Amino acid sequence: MSNTNREIQELLADYAGALRDGCLPSFLKSLTREEAKRVHESRDFWEATEVVRLMNGAGFGDRMVTPDVGLFISRVDAGIASRLKKAGASTRSRTRNRNRVSLQ
Amino acid sequence: MARACGRRACAAARAKDNENWRTKQPVMDKRLRNALKQLTAPDADLRRRAMEPFVRATFAIFIRHLHRYLGNEVECEDVLEDVYADIWEKPDHLRDIENEKQLLRQVYLYYMRKRLREVYRRMNRNLYLSQNDLQNLVAPDLGLCELTSQAELKQILHKMLGKLKARERKAIELWMQGMSNRAIASQLGTTVGAVKMLEFRTILKLRQMLKDYSREYGEED
Repeated sequence: MSNTNREIQELLADYAGALRDGCLPSFLKSLTREEAKRVHESRDFWEATEVVRLMNGAGFGDRMVTPDVGLFISRVDAGIASRLKKAGASTRSRTRNRNRVSLQ
Repeated sequence: MARACGRRACAAARAKDNENWRTKQPVMDKRLRNALKQLTAPDADLRRRAMEPFVRATFAIFIRHLHRYLGNEVECEDVLEDVYADIWEKPDHLRDIENEKQLLRQVYLYYMRKRLREVYRRMNRNLYLSQNDLQNLVAPDLGLCELTSQAELKQILHKMLGKLKARERKAIELWMQGMSNRAIASQLGTTVGAVKMLEFRTILKLRQMLKDYSREYGEED
């Protein structure tokens, strides 16, 4: 991605490669002002990205299935617990503030 | 006369195929249906207990879908973790779900997109790409066949690759095997620039085929 004045077909190929390899941020950072403008104006680019996503899903989606879903479930549960805690803390502080106002 | 009969038979076969496609919508698993019912209950604890069977039944579907937009395992899991917590917190959009496709649609539109948009939001300050374009790249509207299941998508792509010229098909197949453009160029005996052009044209061709397929089979994503 060293070329700084890429044509739209090169930009699409680089986007596809970045998406496939899981390094989209490096593609986004590599865009120059002219290239970003070119991307914005190209309808073909946007239409092609739809197919690139599908190809990415069909070709490489299967490698995503983690064998240990149990571990992931515990992460989700921890996230929920932390949200519950946060919600509890905010209601407690709201009640405390209300009590303080009524005492005054 | 014979030609008219043939055309009529062909139209009938296509209508039957279309009908088959409509009725072939994946039926929802019983466990998933029960988990969804509990997930939309007003009681937060009941919802929390329902998360485990829900995650078990949907993890593979959701993570594969997310992979289409991120392509990175760690980011996909991080986003999905937040998506599940959001679902637990506000499950309103998951009422009256009838099949897996509808479930995926609702989850993508109301939970995943929001989280996907947040992934690169902080990066935007240093980018030349506008906020709108960045969003369209990372969390786009649902496009052609985007809710199609993994197995069905593979079938469709396989069918479409068969309709391409040998060189076009080879370039796409090699790309889907994970090869770099340089490696593809050396396999095809050409330059990297020519490979990028070939890929671009072939992808646009595939898009037209997908459009025709969606029109023919009445898929409205």
